[in-house]
Amino acid sequence: MSAPPPARRRWDGISFEERMATVDFRVGARAHIAVDADVCRSCTTKACVTACPANLFAPTADGGILFNYEECFECGTCYMVCNSEGALTWTYPDGGHGVVFHHG
Amino acid sequence: MPEVLTFDAVVVGAGPAGAAAALALARAGRSVVLVERGPFPGAKNVYGGVVYGRVLDDIVPNWWEEVPVERWVVRRSTMMMTGTQSLSVDFRTDAWGSAPYNGMTTLRSHFDAWLAGKATGAGARLVASTVATGLVRDGAGRVVGVRTDRDGAELHAPVVIACDGVNSFLAKEAGLLPRAEASHHTLGVKEVLDLPHGAINERFGVQDHEGVDMEILGCTREIPGGGFLYTNADTVSIGVVVSLPQLAASGVRPEELVADLKAHPTIAPLLRGSSLREYAAHLIPEGGYDTMPALASDGMLVAGDAGAMTLAAGLWLEGVNFAIGSGYAAGRAADRALAAGDCSARGLASYRTDLESQFVLADHKRLRKAPSLVLSDRVQQRYPGLLCDLAEGMFTVTNPTPKAGGLKLTRAAAARYGVSLRQLATDTVRGLRIFG
Amino acid sequence: MTGPDVLPGSHVPAPQAGDGPLVVACLRIGDLRPAVDPLDGSVTRDRWGVGLPPADAAALEHALRVSAAWGGRVVGVCVGPRSVEPVLREVAALGVAVVRVPAADEADAHRYVTELADDERALARTLLAAVRPFGPPDLVLCGDRSVDRGTGALPAYLAHELGAAQALGLVALQPNGPGALLVERRLDAGWREQLRVPLPAVCSVEGAGVRLRRASLAGALAVDGVPTPVDRSLEVEAAGSPTGDPGSVHLGPTRPYSPRTRVLPPPEGDDPRLRLLALTGALVAHDPPTVVQPESAAEAADVLLDFLVRHGYLDAVPGGGVAPSTGDPTA
Ligand SMILES: Cc1cc2nc3c(=O)[nH]c(=O)nc-3n(C[C@H](O)[C@H](O)[C@H](O)COP(=O)(O)OP(=O)(O)OC[C@H]3O[C@@H](n4cnc5c(N)ncnc54)[C@H](O)[C@@H]3O)c2cc1C
Ligand code: SF4
Ligand code: SF4
Repeated sequence: MSAPPPARRRWDGISFEERMATVDFRVGARAHIAVDADVCRSCTTKACVTACPANLFAPTADGGILFNYEECFECGTCYMVCNSEGALTWTYPDGGHGVVFHHG
Repeated sequence: MPEVLTFDAVVVGAGPAGAAAALALARAGRSVVLVERGPFPGAKNVYGGVVYGRVLDDIVPNWWEEVPVERWVVRRSTMMMTGTQSLSVDFRTDAWGSAPYNGMTTLRSHFDAWLAGKATGAGARLVASTVATGLVRDGAGRVVGVRTDRDGAELHAPVVIACDGVNSFLAKEAGLLPRAEASHHTLGVKEVLDLPHGAINERFGVQDHEGVDMEILGCTREIPGGGFLYTNADTVSIGVVVSLPQLAASGVRPEELVADLKAHPTIAPLLRGSSLREYAAHLIPEGGYDTMPALASDGMLVAGDAGAMTLAAGLWLEGVNFAIGSGYAAGRAADRALAAGDCSARGLASYRTDLESQFVLADHKRLRKAPSLVLSDRVQQRYPGLLCDLAEGMFTVTNPTPKAGGLKLTRAAAARYGVSLRQLATDTVRGLRIFG
Repeated sequence: MTGPDVLPGSHVPAPQAGDGPLVVACLRIGDLRPAVDPLDGSVTRDRWGVGLPPADAAALEHALRVSAAWGGRVVGVCVGPRSVEPVLREVAALGVAVVRVPAADEADAHRYVTELADDERALARTLLAAVRPFGPPDLVLCGDRSVDRGTGALPAYLAHELGAAQALGLVALQPNGPGALLVERRLDAGWREQLRVPLPAVCSVEGAGVRLRRASLAGALAVDGVPTPVDRSLEVEAAGSPTGDPGSVHLGPTRPYSPRTRVLPPPEGDDPRLRLLALTGALVAHDPPTVVQPESAAEAADVLLDFLVRHGYLDAVPGGGVAPSTGDPTA
């Protein structure tokens, strides 16, 4: 039997940046999601870091969270998995802005 | 004073539910405005990829002659997998390959835009690139319109239909939906991969415009959920749907699960040489009938995902059909209420009775226990392995040693996965009751 | 030639010829993220990606501001297939009259549009022909380059065809009296140059500095479902000679940036290796980069300004401000 093809390496070959680069984001001027890093510092789960499909929550060395709103799917996962009151302010981007799926 | 524009009805969200609601109202001669936050209908929407069209028969006669379709589904395959094995139940019928068809693969930017076009064609007004930011109520607390993010301008109407999808902030503001509960939601992540039309035909055993619909169990590690693989014209959609709280607790990134699935020995050869066209994610309301909210309040109705009307428990992903069915019913109920001059919750109550008698709520009621069964630990973690082992035992040629009997193999496999035969029998009966 | 029917914005009556200064915005509506083949340069467009590119949006916003200041009117013109209509309608919702020059064969729209875009002179003529019914333009604005293989040559052709003055790649633009504009252009190293541009003029702008306003709800509703008017007079008029002498553009007071040469003493010794080391400064111990962690944005700004002053890029001004250095930072 021949060795299994290195399929895994191939798929893992897509970096996350390349993955996100396939998506059309029409970035608005207003940050539609705001994270209160002070609240996050006392959060033990950091659930958003694992679950956000766009990987937008970056833990910082001091236990806080660094968040960029630009490449967001507007899915709602973060506010649903977050158990800390007040950590997230979540709204939709202004009309016409934000993600545009071509192949949804 | 914000600008105010008045209509007979305001529909929020130009997904399938909203488009159908606006279509029903426009056909009844009502002035109706459809508000969509994306630059065009479908821009914000993601799903797996199959629309079951039966619901359209009454709404758009001969819809199949004009709907933007990728492929007609003629093969449906349900697959159980472990890291190295897979077992498929494969059903194929030519009957699904010709009118009136059964399911089709289509993309939301195409499909939603088409359905919304039906509504505007019937006279509904569409304002895209506009967010409905909140409800407008009168002194008595009745909903009388929505506020928009265009300078705070308001759209007023005796009835508002919230078709604003899974996050429905309007239904929450109206008190119809409880505060979002992660455990009643799953996250879907999907990749659309470029693959030439001919390669799809060869690898999936179809021709021309025929397509395949695969649902997969056992591909999401220890996280409850499932996977899917659908063929489009010259792309395929592959993805996973996973329980939110468990995903968050698992420490596994969602795109890693998709990468796993793509690398599975059964799936990888199907996708060889493909390249990523688009990555996407969206939530699904997953609670089933038991978590469905009240669907009407004074001046307001809720339809589609906003009312948690999705059937998506690993083995199916259906929601567009329920959204269309409920949206159209909501539009008709609103029209009746307008005719009767009573848009209170009581005046709008015919919506629920209508839904109960239709497939929408009937299906959800029948399958109300399905989410808990399909997402149960046994079905998720043990049965895929058990069944794959069983099949491997049956199909492995062991001669000259005689083959072990079916029962013996079952018992051995069941023991390996820590399931008792009694449990297996109970779940089988439960499953048959729910799905049979 | 039949004139275009005009889609009136809800607030502004349809512009008639001779109704105050005419500002034309040439809009290149199309796929905002087209795929360009790195090998053969072919462009694949996706109709779901259609939108107004940032530079064109900025051009339109400038057009609205300038015409408001002049009491003029704005016409938006675009060459494109039917799929651009929703975007053009959003433009009309702002009270702008719009005209679309359709593809000769809508079914093969992309090819036609591509060919037209390949020949930017023909594109310039087509656009100007489409707005001719509104009268002679006083100002034509467009984005500095299109997102799909744009060369930025269109405005030059437009200026040539119109016999107008041109100023390209602008970041700011304001009326300077009735007959002229005061505009700003980016130079290297953060410098800007100010130009006084006489009318008629063609200006291209960068997608920066301004954001396109959003239409009101009434405006958006007024244009819903209204087909955008199409200019059916596809024949491109024979190349006449340019209509007039372009006025000349005056450069305002700027001090273009020119880095000073840094004089190094010739290295000592004969060993080429050592001379090279001495010249390049390799192997010499340097101060490690400083990492500062200011608490607030204001503090961060202070730290940065401080650094620039310390290294001679800025001069501290009495009273706490700073100004560009007049000295040699490397001295
Ligand atoms: C990964 C995944 C796979 C799926 N697979 C399938 C499948 O294969 N087959 C199937 O039938 N179903 C599937 N579903 C379910 C299906 O997508 C949904 O049930 C269906 O889209 C619901 O339709 P809707 O109209 O209720 O909501 P949506 O389609 O979500 O539409 C809501 C609309 O409202 C707009 N909106 C929201 N808020 C506002 C606001 N405040 N103002 C203005 N506009 C607003 C949104 O932009 C959107 O267009 C899947 C779902 C997911 C996530
Ligand atoms: S956003 Fe919520 S889940 Fe994420 S780190 Fe902050 S508190 Fe924790
Ligand atoms: S909405 Fe979704 S994509 Fe956006 S930040 Fe939250 S989890 Fe991430």
